[in-house]
Amino acid sequence: MPTAERIRREHSATALDAAERARLERAFTVPRARFLLGVPVALAILYWSMVGADFDVAKLGEGAVNMGDFLTRLFPPSWDKLDVIVAQLVETLQMAIVGSVLGAVLSLFMAFGAASNIAPGWVYYPCRWTMNVIRSLPDLVFALMFVSAVGLGPFAGILAMTVGSVGSIGKVFAEAMESVDTGPVTAMEAVGASRRQVVQYGVLPQAGPLLVSYSLLLFEGNVRGATILGMVGAGGIGLELTTAMKMYDYGHLSAIVICIIVLVTVIDQASAVIRRKIT
Amino acid sequence: MTVTAASTSTTTSSPVTSGPTPGALVTVRDLQVSYGAGPLVLDGVDLDLYPGETVALLGSSGSGKSTLMRCLTGFAPISSGTVQVSGHELTSLRRSRLRDLRASVGQVFQQFNLVGRLSVLTNVLTGALHRAGPINAVGGFTSADRRRAMELLDRVGIAHKATVQARTLSGGQQQRVAIARALMQRPQVVLADEPVASLDPKMSHAVLDLLRQIAREDGIPVLVSLHVLPLALEHSDRIVGLRHGRMLVSAPTADLDADRLEVLYADGTEEADGAHR
Repeated sequence: MPTAERIRREHSATALDAAERARLERAFTVPRARFLLGVPVALAILYWSMVGADFDVAKLGEGAVNMGDFLTRLFPPSWDKLDVIVAQLVETLQMAIVGSVLGAVLSLFMAFGAASNIAPGWVYYPCRWTMNVIRSLPDLVFALMFVSAVGLGPFAGILAMTVGSVGSIGKVFAEAMESVDTGPVTAMEAVGASRRQVVQYGVLPQAGPLLVSYSLLLFEGNVRGATILGMVGAGGIGLELTTAMKMYDYGHLSAIVICIIVLVTVIDQASAVIRRKIT
Repeated sequence: MTVTAASTSTTTSSPVTSGPTPGALVTVRDLQVSYGAGPLVLDGVDLDLYPGETVALLGSSGSGKSTLMRCLTGFAPISSGTVQVSGHELTSLRRSRLRDLRASVGQVFQQFNLVGRLSVLTNVLTGALHRAGPINAVGGFTSADRRRAMELLDRVGIAHKATVQARTLSGGQQQRVAIARALMQRPQVVLADEPVASLDPKMSHAVLDLLRQIAREDGIPVLVSLHVLPLALEHSDRIVGLRHGRMLVSAPTADLDADRLEVLYADGTEEADGAHR
């Protein structure tokens, strides 16, 4: 059979129907019915949520004067207790470092169990459920729990951060492992590698950059999170921040906020540089 | 002398007996494969692979080429029949023994399947994972393995790239690394599933030359599935052909030409056009 005729016959068997073809060839594609239906439904859900949550832009406008007044009182910042702020920030950073490292390591092990391409079903589901439970609880709850267990101070904060990290970052670690290219994994199985070797040489090198990137994101989040954990006595700059607010010490509060912003910005920039290097 | 199911094709070949053929490293008899309750993907396939020969496996997409390859390493569900590799009946092997068997079968893939972020040397070393020993628990390989990996990189002509990440190499270079990885296994047979489908013609000839050279020098059979008839005719000692899961052709390459292989593509699939390019 001549090639051209063969192609025509094959094409006629698999061709799009005329209406679909005409739709694809139009300069401006008419949205599909499901899109036209979906947009109003999404808008309706958004409106329902705004009403339910008392979202009111007018009220924000009315309160702008008070907000401006609050911001005015923050200036000038008072640097009298800079040494205290720096000491607390260093403690916050230390908490975040330890909490993030422990959290990332635990998350990695949890992720091995929660990745469907690595773990058998009897390991996969318990790991996923455990992470879901952890993720559904706010870090503040863990902080209160650990404060009651080990007392006030940064140790409780570190434990809260570590456990909280497993819920959040463990899931993304597992998904990073699940999304690796299956080709190298197949190749590892083909050379007779053990399951550990398949993960070590087929999965981790591919998922590595994402895992490091997520770990840095976890660290950034934990630095910010540590400022909140301090409010319940779990160490870090949070306690100093809360005290300054309660004492209406706006100058000190302003200095604390500025220092936090500087720290978070520096960490963010450093993380960005590291991410660029590894990806 | 005939292995053909199609009335239109009459192709000479070695006789196929019911048991293992003396001297054959791979023996497949009356192999049937189906996925679930689906139709047979392979239907009564017989195949022998002998030391030192390069066998081209032809057939259009869906003819069962890849499934046959997967059967030889225990990755496909065998419904009935026997598959013997180096004297071991694959269908009766336990999981741990199956890993041993896979380690003795070098595989080369269409998309190379290298770990792009690992160095070329480490990619080759992964071929030794099965016998890497305790040192590998901490990510290491023995000096002997490293020396052999470098020798293999010399052999495939890419030792100067040993330290670079595999993803930075061209397609042809990556396929050479993949071949070195397969050789690192000290394989008793090499299976190459469309190894040149992603390469330009020049690279295709180079890679197939290399595979044939390996078969001859190392005295191992190399089974290569291909889509392009001229490549198969130029770079193989024997050609076997599948159509709809049945083996229609099995004959020395010298006895075949493109016209006699037309039967494999008689359905008028796209591959038939490509095959004649």
